[in-house]
Amino acid sequence: MLRKIFLPSILIILAYGFWISPDFKEISAGVAIFLFGMIALEEGFKAFSGGTLEKILQKSTDKLYKSIGFGFITTAMMQSSSLVSVLTISFLGAGLIGLTQGVGIILGANIGTTTGAWLMAGFGLKVKISSYAMPMLVFGVILIFQKAKSLKGLGYILAGLGFLFLGIHYMKEGFEAFKDTVDLASLSVGGLKGLFIFIGVGILATVIMQSSHATIVLILAALSVGQISYENALALTIGANIGTTITAIIGSLSSNIDGKRLAAAHLIFNITTAVIAVVIMDQMITTVSAISDFIGISPDNHTLKLAVFDSLFKIMGVVIFIPFVDKLVKFLQIRLKPSVVSEAKSFDTVKYLNDSVLETSMTAMAAIKKETKHLYDNAFEIITHGLNIKRSNILSEMPLEEVVQDLYSQSAVDIDDFYHHRIKGIYGEIIDFSTKAQSQMPSEYIEELYKIKLANRDIVEAVKDTKHLQKNLVKYCQSTNEHIKSEYDNMRKDLAELLRTIHMITISDQEDEILLLLSKAKIHTERYDIIANGKLDNLIRNGLISNEMATSLMNDSGYAYNISTNLIAMAEIIYVTDNSEMIIEEEEVKEILNQKDEQ
Amino acid sequence: MSVKKFIADVKEYLGLDDFKKSGKKKSIKRLLEKLKARKEILDKIPKKKLDKKEKKELKEELAIITLQIKKGEKILDTLNSKDPKNSKNKKEK
Repeated sequence: MLRKIFLPSILIILAYGFWISPDFKEISAGVAIFLFGMIALEEGFKAFSGGTLEKILQKSTDKLYKSIGFGFITTAMMQSSSLVSVLTISFLGAGLIGLTQGVGIILGANIGTTTGAWLMAGFGLKVKISSYAMPMLVFGVILIFQKAKSLKGLGYILAGLGFLFLGIHYMKEGFEAFKDTVDLASLSVGGLKGLFIFIGVGILATVIMQSSHATIVLILAALSVGQISYENALALTIGANIGTTITAIIGSLSSNIDGKRLAAAHLIFNITTAVIAVVIMDQMITTVSAISDFIGISPDNHTLKLAVFDSLFKIMGVVIFIPFVDKLVKFLQIRLKPSVVSEAKSFDTVKYLNDSVLETSMTAMAAIKKETKHLYDNAFEIITHGLNIKRSNILSEMPLEEVVQDLYSQSAVDIDDFYHHRIKGIYGEIIDFSTKAQSQMPSEYIEELYKIKLANRDIVEAVKDTKHLQKNLVKYCQSTNEHIKSEYDNMRKDLAELLRTIHMITISDQEDEILLLLSKAKIHTERYDIIANGKLDNLIRNGLISNEMATSLMNDSGYAYNISTNLIAMAEIIYVTDNSEMIIEEEEVKEILNQKDEQ
Repeated sequence: MSVKKFIADVKEYLGLDDFKKSGKKKSIKRLLEKLKARKEILDKIPKKKLDKKEKKELKEELAIITLQIKKGEKILDTLNSKDPKNSKNKKEK
C-alpha cells in the first residue's frame, strides 16, 4: 500500500517543484545525471569483473584487515559502495566468503566512500568540471557501441565519469542560481533540534537516491554556495551514512540468511557510529578544525572541512568497531536464524541458491556446486540407510566387515519417502536455477555448468538404483543360503568402502590424495564386478545358488555397479578442481588390473 | 595496422596468451612433485613387514601413482612443446 503511494507522491512533489522553480529543476537534473553516471560506472566495472574482481575478492579477504583494505580500495576506485555491497552479498550467498570477511569489506567500503567527498571538495568544486565531462561522454558513448566487451566496459566507465561530472556541474549551477531567488540558509536550524532534523533529511535523501555518494555531493554543492550551514551539513552527512544501509538491505532481500546478517551488521555499524558522532559532536568539530589547521585548510573552507569530518567520522567508526567484529558476527548468527516453515519441516530445501548469487557467473557457479555437494550429503544418507548401514560407521575407521554387520534397521527404510523429502525438491531447484544462471553466463562457464548438471543426475540415479537394490538386499541378507548372503554382504561392503572413499575425498584438500582415492575407487569398482570377474558363473556352475537367486544377484550387481560408477563420475566433476585430465581412464584401469592378474 | 593485429601484438608483447598456459604448467608441476614425493615414501616402506592384504594395497597404490606420474609428464611435455619460448630455445640450441 505504502509503496503504491510513495512513487506517485515523489513524482508529484518533483513536478510541482519543477513548475515553481527552474533552479530546483536544474539541481534535480544534476542529481539524476549523477545517479545515471553511477549506474553507468557500475555497468562498466561489471564488464571487467568477469572473474578478475571476484578472484581478487576471494583471495584478498582471508584476514579482517585484508577485507577492510579490499573494501576501501575497490570503493575508492569505483566511487560506489553499492556495487561492492552487492558483490559482497553475492559472495556471501554463494558461501565463498564468511560473514566476518563480509563485515570487513563493508567497513572498508565505508572508508572508501570518503574519497568521493575529497574529490568533490578538492577538485569538483574548484575547476569547471563540465569541460572534462563533455569529451568523456563523447568518447564513452562511441566505445559503448563497440562489440568488444572490454571496450564496451571502458566506454561505460568513461561515460559514467562524464555523467558524474556533468551532474556535479548542474547541481553546483542550480544551487548558485537558487541563491538569487531563495535563501535556503535562512531555513537552517541550530542546536540539537537542527542536528536531528538534518540527520533525518540526510537519511531520507539517501534512501530516495539510494546513494550516500550523491547525497554528500549534493551537500557539498549546497555548502559551497552557502545554501546550508556548516553544522547542518555535518548532520546531513551523518544522516547520509545511515541512509546508505538501504542498498545492502534491499540487496539482502533476495539473499540467504548470511546476506541478511550482513545488511544487519551494516545497519548496526552505521547507526552506532552516528550515535557516537552525535554524542561527541562538539569534540568532533574541534578535532576537525585542528586537523584542518594542521593540513593547511583555511578555517572558512567548509567544503574541505566537511571532507575531513566525513573521513574522521567514518575512520573513527571502523577503528571502534574492529575489536567487536567477531562478537557482532556471533550476535547476528544467534539472533538471525533461517526461518523454518513448519508445514514443510521435513522437506529439505536449497541452501545456496538465491537471486543474489546470480550477480556474477563465478558466484552462480560456486553456489550450484555447493548445492550439489548438499544434494550428495542427502544422497549419502539415503544410500547408506538403503544398504542398511549406519552413516556414523562409514565416517569412522571401523573395519568394513564390522560395518556391514552393524545394521541400521531391522526393516527396510522407505527410500521413496526419503527421495521426495530430501532429493527431489533440491534436484529440481538446482536444474531450474542452472537454467536461469546459464542465460547470463559467458560460454567458458557453460561447459562446466553442463558437467555439474550431469553430476546432479548421477547422484539422483545412484539413489534410484539403491531403491532397486534394496528390495533383494533386505531379503537375501537374512537368507539361510550362506553363499547368497555372503555375496550380498560383499556388495554392501564394496559400496560402504566406496562411500568411505568419497567421504575422504570430500574432506581432503590434497589434490594428489583425491586423485589417488578416485583412481582406487575406479579400480575396485571394476574388480568387484562379479559378472566380469567370473564369480557369478562359478556360483551357478557349482549349484551353490538357485536360478532365482542368480537372476537377482546378476541384476543387483548391475545396480551396485551403476551406483559406484555414478558416484565416482559425480566426485570427478565436483571434487577434482584443477587437473581433471590426470584422473585415470577406463583403459588405464584395465591396464592396472591386468598387471595384477599377471602377478 | 588493423585493430585485431594491434591487440594480438600487444598480447604477444605482454605474454598474455601464455598466462593461462603457464598457470596450468605450474599446477601440473606442483602435482607431479607431490606424486613423486608420495611415491618415494611408498618405495621406502619395508615390504617384508607387511601382510598379504597390505602388500596388495601398496602395489596397487604404486601402480596408480606411477601411471599418474607418466601421465603428468606427458601433459607437461605437450605444454612445453606448445610454448614459443621453449621452441625458440630449442632452435637456438
